[in-house]
Amino acid sequence: MSMKFLVVDDSGTMRRIVANSLKNLGYDSIVEAVDGKDALAKLAADDTISFVITDWNMPVFTGLELTKAMRADAKYMKMPILMVTTRGIKEDIIEALQAKVNNYIIKPFTPQILKEKIDQILAHVQ
Amino acid sequence: MKNINMSQLFEKLSDIKALFQYGQKIVPVLQSLVDFMQDTGPLLENINHSIAESTAKIPRATDQISNVTNATELATTEILDLVDVISNSLNNIESLLKELISTENKKNEIYEKLSILLAGNPEAGELLKQYNEANITIDSIGNIIQYFPKIKDDTYNITLSLQVQDITSQQLASVTHLIESVQDRLAKLIRDIDDADLKSPALPGPPVNFTAPEGATFDPNASYDKSSDRQDMINDLVQKENMKASQDEIDKLFS
Repeated sequence: MSMKFLVVDDSGTMRRIVANSLKNLGYDSIVEAVDGKDALAKLAADDTISFVITDWNMPVFTGLELTKAMRADAKYMKMPILMVTTRGIKEDIIEALQAKVNNYIIKPFTPQILKEKIDQILAHVQ
Repeated sequence: MKNINMSQLFEKLSDIKALFQYGQKIVPVLQSLVDFMQDTGPLLENINHSIAESTAKIPRATDQISNVTNATELATTEILDLVDVISNSLNNIESLLKELISTENKKNEIYEKLSILLAGNPEAGELLKQYNEANITIDSIGNIIQYFPKIKDDTYNITLSLQVQDITSQQLASVTHLIESVQDRLAKLIRDIDDADLKSPALPGPPVNFTAPEGATFDPNASYDKSSDRQDMINDLVQKENMKASQDEIDKLFS
């Protein structure tokens, strides 16, 4: 599949687990970023990135800040963003949805949930 | 009149006597109070010293927690590396076995041709049959290959279980933050005791903050919960939010 993913997480373990899961789903084109600021730099440097999977709690620039920054930029306004985080409090989820993430997954995630959410987002976007 | 004055005088003397008797009783109590006050000084000094000592040890405790986080991250990386090696080996073995099946198919074709050619030579035909029976059959290779998806799933599940490292590291970061908050309070307490001239009582400070500070890189409520309850709640919220968005879009069309 030609879609290129940007996986954003300060935990190297999580980046690797998400990347492995994407490869298992047939998505081989993956770029990684260690925080929101790094993610914005990777997005600016690579026009072929078409899907962002981001953690929330990260140093420098959080996943929520990244989402808000992307939605404020016409270039990334419609780009799919999937939040994968430990934050499971209702208020947090609503805040993320209001910041316009396309969907939300709680850690620990299963490959079935990841596939389901990616498919839902792509179906909605296309 | 004199009699009345005398009786009043005796009453006063009796009161004074009672006062002295009471005084005799109260002196030891006052003495013990003074002794207690004298003992309290070193005790307070000890408490102050203990707090200072505990406060000094806190950075070591947070360092140890940080070491645990680093060690588990390193161990997790090693496990992930090994799982990758196993997965690659499995893929290589599977490819080799599939090549073997292809080779066996070619050998079978040759066997069929040789059987026809050696039809006039029963001895050679029998030897060829024995040779073919001694070979690995395609079925047995197929039986081995069918275990591969299960083994691959199991190795992938090991990878997924390692999400626990990220979650526990956030829990440990939360504990570190809590310890540091306690350290701040203890340090303030020591300052208050040292500065105290007993002019005014030290006011209690704000409660120790158990929640994540602004910009925290951890979730204080992180938990390794594999039940689907929380994800179900999220799915409901996402669905409601999407429905709300759709309604907004419909409303825009009619406005």
